[in-house]
Amino acid sequence: MILAILIQFFLFLGIIFAVLGNLGVLIFPDVYTRLQASSTCTTTSVFSFFIAGMLYSGFSPITGKILVITVFFIVSSPVSAHIVARFAWNREIVPWRKLTPPIREKQ
Amino acid sequence: MDALTKWKIVRILLTTIYLMFGWILFSGTFTLTSITLGLVFSSTVAFFTYSLFIEKGEAARRSLLPRVYLVGVYFLLLVFKMYVASFEVLLSVLRGRINPRVVHFRTRLKSDIARVLLANSITMTPGTVTLNLDDDHLIVHWLNAKTTHSRYAGNIIKGDFEEILKRIWI
Repeated sequence: MILAILIQFFLFLGIIFAVLGNLGVLIFPDVYTRLQASSTCTTTSVFSFFIAGMLYSGFSPITGKILVITVFFIVSSPVSAHIVARFAWNREIVPWRKLTPPIREKQ
Repeated sequence: MDALTKWKIVRILLTTIYLMFGWILFSGTFTLTSITLGLVFSSTVAFFTYSLFIEKGEAARRSLLPRVYLVGVYFLLLVFKMYVASFEVLLSVLRGRINPRVVHFRTRLKSDIARVLLANSITMTPGTVTLNLDDDHLIVHWLNAKTTHSRYAGNIIKGDFEEILKRIWI
């Protein structure tokens, strides 16, 4: 009972992170901020799905396999995000900055 | 028998144990034929690839067997921070209010693997992406920047990661 609720909770978290992370890709202004929204929120969503799968399969060899996949995912996913960001940084794409209101001169 | 030969045997044994663990995990059976097959094949593969798996000069460091409980603590801390930070990113997506900045800071970690793990876990937590890692100098893109001062930004972003990594690998 509690296990089923936990599984549903993690699946729900995964769906929310996936949908809103991809919404951020459409909203945000430039390469770096879009990369933040897409890659990292999607990482969290996939991670939630893995946790839900591990809870569902219980203590069995399948859990160990999912654990190995999770460790591989933890190593590989930040590296792929870092490659895109580093390429953009080496091409000297200027990051977007919030415009601050101009400072009034003192009279 | 000199030290190098002993070290070679230890390397072959460690590689065999690692491969055997993977075999049992992925086959999922404990019958006699399966285990003997796994032993034969993992010792054959280990005999050819031990020099790639564990390098010759790696004996002195702690890189072979790090402190296991601290690695567990680090993993749990990483997952916890990942969830907290991704809720913050979700809030800023919904509000549409962001303040991105590029900050530079230094790390005190010495070994390569610890620096790479630090950069990876900074990218792993949403809201920060490592743009470049040059020796001990990190360039990080920060979604909701609170400060651009080097030391304070480093303390906020690195958090407890650096403390634990310094105790695992120096």
